[in-house]
Amino acid sequence: MIEVRGISKRYGDLQAVDNLSITIEKGHIFGLLGPNGAGKSTTISMMCGLITPDLGTVQLNGEKPTDKATKHKIGLIPQSIALYEELTALDNLSFFADLYGLSAKTKNERMEWSLQFVGLQDRAKDTVSEYSGGMKRRLNLAASLLHDPEFIFMDEPTAGVDPQSRNKLFESVLELKDLGKTIIYTTHYMEEAEKLCDRVGVVDKGQLLALGTVDELIEQHGGDSSVNISSEQGEESFMTANPVNDLMARLRELTTVDNLSLRRPNLETVFLNLTGKQLRD
Amino acid sequence: MRAVIALMKKDIKLLFKDKMAVFFTFIFPLLFAFFFGSIFSSSGGAQGLKVAVTDLDQTEKSQVFVEQLNEASEFRVTVTDEASAKELVRTGKQVAFIILPEGFGENYGGIFSGEPPEILVGIDPARKAEAGYLEGSLMKLGIKRFELAFSDANEMIKQLDFSIDDIQQSDDMPAEWKSLLSDYLPKFKELTEQELAKQPDGAGSTGLNFGSDGDNPMMPLKITKEEVMVQKTGPRNAFSITIPQGVIWAIMGCVIGFAISLVREKTLGTIDRLAMAPISRTQILAGKALGCFAAQAMVVTMLFTIAYFILDVRFDFIKLILAVLAAGICFVGVMMFFASITKTEQSVAGMTNAFLILMGMIGGAMIPLFAMPGWMQSVSHISPVKWAILAFEGAIWRDFSYIEMMTPLAILTAIGLVTFFIGTRMLKLKQA
Repeated sequence: MIEVRGISKRYGDLQAVDNLSITIEKGHIFGLLGPNGAGKSTTISMMCGLITPDLGTVQLNGEKPTDKATKHKIGLIPQSIALYEELTALDNLSFFADLYGLSAKTKNERMEWSLQFVGLQDRAKDTVSEYSGGMKRRLNLAASLLHDPEFIFMDEPTAGVDPQSRNKLFESVLELKDLGKTIIYTTHYMEEAEKLCDRVGVVDKGQLLALGTVDELIEQHGGDSSVNISSEQGEESFMTANPVNDLMARLRELTTVDNLSLRRPNLETVFLNLTGKQLRD
Repeated sequence: MRAVIALMKKDIKLLFKDKMAVFFTFIFPLLFAFFFGSIFSSSGGAQGLKVAVTDLDQTEKSQVFVEQLNEASEFRVTVTDEASAKELVRTGKQVAFIILPEGFGENYGGIFSGEPPEILVGIDPARKAEAGYLEGSLMKLGIKRFELAFSDANEMIKQLDFSIDDIQQSDDMPAEWKSLLSDYLPKFKELTEQELAKQPDGAGSTGLNFGSDGDNPMMPLKITKEEVMVQKTGPRNAFSITIPQGVIWAIMGCVIGFAISLVREKTLGTIDRLAMAPISRTQILAGKALGCFAAQAMVVTMLFTIAYFILDVRFDFIKLILAVLAAGICFVGVMMFFASITKTEQSVAGMTNAFLILMGMIGGAMIPLFAMPGWMQSVSHISPVKWAILAFEGAIWRDFSYIEMMTPLAILTAIGLVTFFIGTRMLKLKQA
């Protein structure tokens, strides 16, 4: 279990994270959503011990993430492709495995497993610079799984990858969940969070704006459904909190209906309702 | 320690993957040392061997020989007294001394009798190549005394009269030889006089043809060698100067390469992976430092191996190891410092290049320290390159004692420790 209690981090005048608290259950996939500059990466960096919070605490199974023993339980997939492009995939994995002090036998087994897990076993001897963006992302994931971590922090792992590689990454994340791993996942893509995450936290300007399951968030922050009807009386649309009942009532009043659409709120609506529509570049 | 070794191995592997880095770290320094060493060596050779000549005989013949030495392109002659000549060679300012002892002129003229003219040559026994060259060149000059004798018929007749008298008066010549020469030389004189009579007036000095010099079994010169223990106050050869300079270029290549690689860890994000591993920041930085040090040690070993076996550079092994260690510490610290104060690969490359080239210019990596004007030698004190070159030269040709080695070694180590401490401290603060 991960317990984050009131963590804050300031860089000069910028309050990157402000009194943020989250509890993540073992074996869950937790999604951290937010616009650019919301504080997602800073939060994840504090959760995995890469950055020390100014205030607050982070505990992984009751231990600090910076403890040497706890570090063996953490896997970080950075936002950037944190690999040595001049080296082969095998060289990269071998080097990162050595940092965790794996025995030769375990190291070979884990390297083989990781490459197979991300579907790169056939390209293991190629230099990373020859890989496509999607393959690099997958190897980036493999390099973080060598030491069989219990907590896996993924910072926008699907940024800039093709649909096939993205799909493979989704499958990998769900497989890791099946293996009992606890996963913290930051993303811009709402459909990823809807598809993968057990619970979601929305952050903006360093603050946690909402926390819950996808359904809970839609219910709490999604707003009304949008109904659009085209009939002999022309086009009409309205917003309603109870779309089924209101739609049925309206249809009883009409003799013919040419077109009908009902748009329920989703996570994107929640996101825009919470963080606004202003551009964040 | 396993993680530190893994870091070092990874960085060395990355270094060898970068063809430009390999060129500037391993090939360029060798080319530099070889190119400039060859230029300096060949220009020295073209000016001839530097010899000190002492004429103790002071006869017409000995003066002719000294004049021939002066005119020969193989030599650069300094005429001086015996003591000065020996001192010049002992102190390494001249390659060899040549002393013409008393009696040289008398024997120089004797063709058919007496002893060959003797000269005393003193040279450092280690300079085998120069000794061989010197002996050959002197023999070539010695042959000229035969040319002198045989090319002038009047001179020849004079020599024959002198030799006939000498043979008649000789007590120790075997009777058979005495009989043969007493019969042969007067006939030879008679023949020469007849030939001379046939020549137009004044043509006697143009010479007579008696066959080639190669048929004459007599020695042109008798060379007595004397080994001189040279006081080593100068470089053994030009490579002794250019190899330390090449080593500095190699070390600078390593520093730039590793500073860039450390900054690249930050820009790529691999530093986060390293920081997430169950190793301390000190271990991470130690791995980087060890990688840089190991690369330096490899290239220095390569250069000095080539220098020893191919370029005839000699050094004190222990002092050289000390110099390599101290220079390694110094430049690893410099690498760490520049990697800590820059954020991008471009800025670290630009800043490190600018700093090291400036330090190299004033520190003797381009112009040898001893060739710099006095004011520049004073300015060079601020350059770590100067102290590194001084340490290497101390082990190669300056013949530093261990006490003398202490100054450059201590300065290099101090620079290294201070810059390493500041660099690691700043890197730590940035990561916090």
